[in-house]
Amino acid sequence: MFDLLPQRIPWYIVGPGLGLLIVALFAVANQPLGASGAYVHTSGLLRRGRDIVVWRVWYFVGMFVGGLLVTRVLTTDNHAIRSGYDSLRGAFPLWAVVPLVFGGATLLGFGAGMAGGCTSGHGLCGTAQRSPASAAVTITFLTTAVITTFALHVATGGSL
Amino acid sequence: MKLNLTGLGIGILFGGLLAGAQLHEYDTIHAMLRLKEADVYLLMASAIAVSAPLLWILERRNHNTLFGGRIALSRSMPQRHHIKGGALFGIGWAVAGTCPAPALVMLSSGALLGLVAIAGIFLGLHLNALAADRAGQEITIGDGEHRELVGAD
Repeated sequence: MFDLLPQRIPWYIVGPGLGLLIVALFAVANQPLGASGAYVHTSGLLRRGRDIVVWRVWYFVGMFVGGLLVTRVLTTDNHAIRSGYDSLRGAFPLWAVVPLVFGGATLLGFGAGMAGGCTSGHGLCGTAQRSPASAAVTITFLTTAVITTFALHVATGGSL
Repeated sequence: MKLNLTGLGIGILFGGLLAGAQLHEYDTIHAMLRLKEADVYLLMASAIAVSAPLLWILERRNHNTLFGGRIALSRSMPQRHHIKGGALFGIGWAVAGTCPAPALVMLSSGALLGLVAIAGIFLGLHLNALAADRAGQEITIGDGEHRELVGAD
């Protein structure tokens, strides 16, 4: 079997591709494609809440399906079920990786809720609309993320 | 219906592009944030470099969107919660090595810890909604999230 896609598509194809996707959703539906909002509407649907925007749930499902198609249908490598987090698992045992990932994800979810968006919402769509708030959020999270990563690097004696 | 199909289609393309660039791998995000490689920064910058001028043109031409009425871009001013939320998001992003959209791709690529990340993101968003509710505040809807449109179907 041959791969329809290379193992990693270069940034100069994916970046402009994402840019065109952002423009397409605005041109068609006048909407940005923030992903954290898709989580909010999906959890709302699961908990039978009110004010659910159903197409945001389809968008949530679509992201999962798109990942599935590219990683498991259009490429032949790495089809085994695995844990993921290769280098984090190299630095910590699994019993520590699970709470680290869960804790980090909870914190980023909390922060995304408070800021009103995440990497896709503020980082890409908001900034592309020339939103000062989105630019401020993006600069802030990039800064704290780099500092945290270097702190982890030092704390693990350089193994991360 | 057509909006649901659009959402599904855009989601598939979005998830597919993220997977293509390996953004669902912890190692990609960690290398980015360790400043070991510039690829993800260039990816984000080129996405904005392509979309910002095109959105500006659509706005200038008062583009009539297919089913969302006249194009309207959102431009809020930064407030305290943007900075606080962004700071917390960045710390969590660095530890978990993923964010909301790539976490879904991580799971669909067969990496089971993606499920742990997705559960955490749901919990974090829920805890923030509870905290906002307790403080009697509205939940923030950022400029990159769903907005209610007047005059759209």
